[in-house]
Amino acid sequence: MYIVVSIAILVTMVLALVRALLGPTVYDRVLAVNVFGTKTVLLLSVIAFLYGRPDFLDLALAYALINVVGILAVLEFFQDRFRKQERVDSD
Amino acid sequence: MIYVFALFLLTLLVITAVAIVRTENLFVAVMLTSIFSLLMAANFFILDAADVALTEAAVGAGVTTVIFLSALALTGDWEKPRPGGRTVALGTVGVLAMLLIYASFDKPRLGDPEAPVHQHVAPWYLEKTPEYMDIPNVVTAILSSFRGYDTLGEVFVVFAACIGVLFILGVKPARQTAAAPQPVSGLRHHLIPQVVGRLLVPFIVLFGLYVQFHGEYGPGGGFQAGAIIATGVILYALLEGEAEALRAVPRSVLLALVVGGALLYGAVGVVCMLKGGAFLDYSVLAADPVFGQQLGILVIEAGVGMAVCGALLSIFHAFAARESMT
Repeated sequence: MYIVVSIAILVTMVLALVRALLGPTVYDRVLAVNVFGTKTVLLLSVIAFLYGRPDFLDLALAYALINVVGILAVLEFFQDRFRKQERVDSD
Repeated sequence: MIYVFALFLLTLLVITAVAIVRTENLFVAVMLTSIFSLLMAANFFILDAADVALTEAAVGAGVTTVIFLSALALTGDWEKPRPGGRTVALGTVGVLAMLLIYASFDKPRLGDPEAPVHQHVAPWYLEKTPEYMDIPNVVTAILSSFRGYDTLGEVFVVFAACIGVLFILGVKPARQTAAAPQPVSGLRHHLIPQVVGRLLVPFIVLFGLYVQFHGEYGPGGGFQAGAIIATGVILYALLEGEAEALRAVPRSVLLALVVGGALLYGAVGVVCMLKGGAFLDYSVLAADPVFGQQLGILVIEAGVGMAVCGALLSIFHAFAARESMT
């Protein structure tokens, strides 16, 4: 059962990776990275049970907490760039 | 089955690595590096290296992306085309790859219990950890006690790297940056990140402390905890703006953490010597040698955590300060 779930998650990871590689816009890639992060969290959780070591859920938890920070950093990066562009345009 | 998973993830890893090299858009490279790090951690995890996977998770997924983006804000989006030199590089890499592939034919099978690495000191570590330290996580025992010198060296490397980055980015004294006009930054005006992020910050820091003090029992320790706590503070900086985060955790505190962490580690070694043991031999720290070992491990892990957290945050603030100067 766990194996079927893992394979399904792996397939989703491949799809996300394809989107990240192909693009074409940056938002596709940002979203792809976010999806990839979520799938990694799921994969780690499922494999932790597959191994019979649920204490490894710590790792999935760490990922879930930290992945969001990277995405927020990307959003702020674009916001700052947009503001700078606006300032340049208005000068 | 696990080998099939590992092989599959490694294939994805190679595809991502090639794409990172091929792309000329640096932002795309940063995004792909983030995926690379996620894949790497999943691989470590599947190979049952939980401590390394946690390190990769803590450093690769959060902090590295943030620092890469800060660096990207200072440069352009596109890689400069470099004329010539490609064939020489390709030749060198090709020959090296051939040599490595040739060397891998002699490698023992994955997970082979007869492999030399499992015959050397590893059995001794596994056997002696319960006797000397009585803690379940052998990785922590090896890192912080059996091979304490190596970890001390790593802490000094972190310290030196932090000093190096601060020198290169040339951070101005605090009063000058305060006088400079602060551009509006942070995601303060976006409701959803604001509310969710504020809820997350305390939990991230709490999780970091758990990883710090639970390192003897589960995957984790000072390095991972330092990176996770630094991520929590970086999240606060992203939400409220960098100046607000500096008010909460000032630069002087960060430098004190870096220096204090490295000194704390060294001081434990010196105290061991003063108590009549060898440098970093924690057994003499308490009347009961096992408790002395546990105490020593706890204190030096705290030193490692302080140093890593302070270094990562100093580097982050150095980039941000540089950004607001331009």
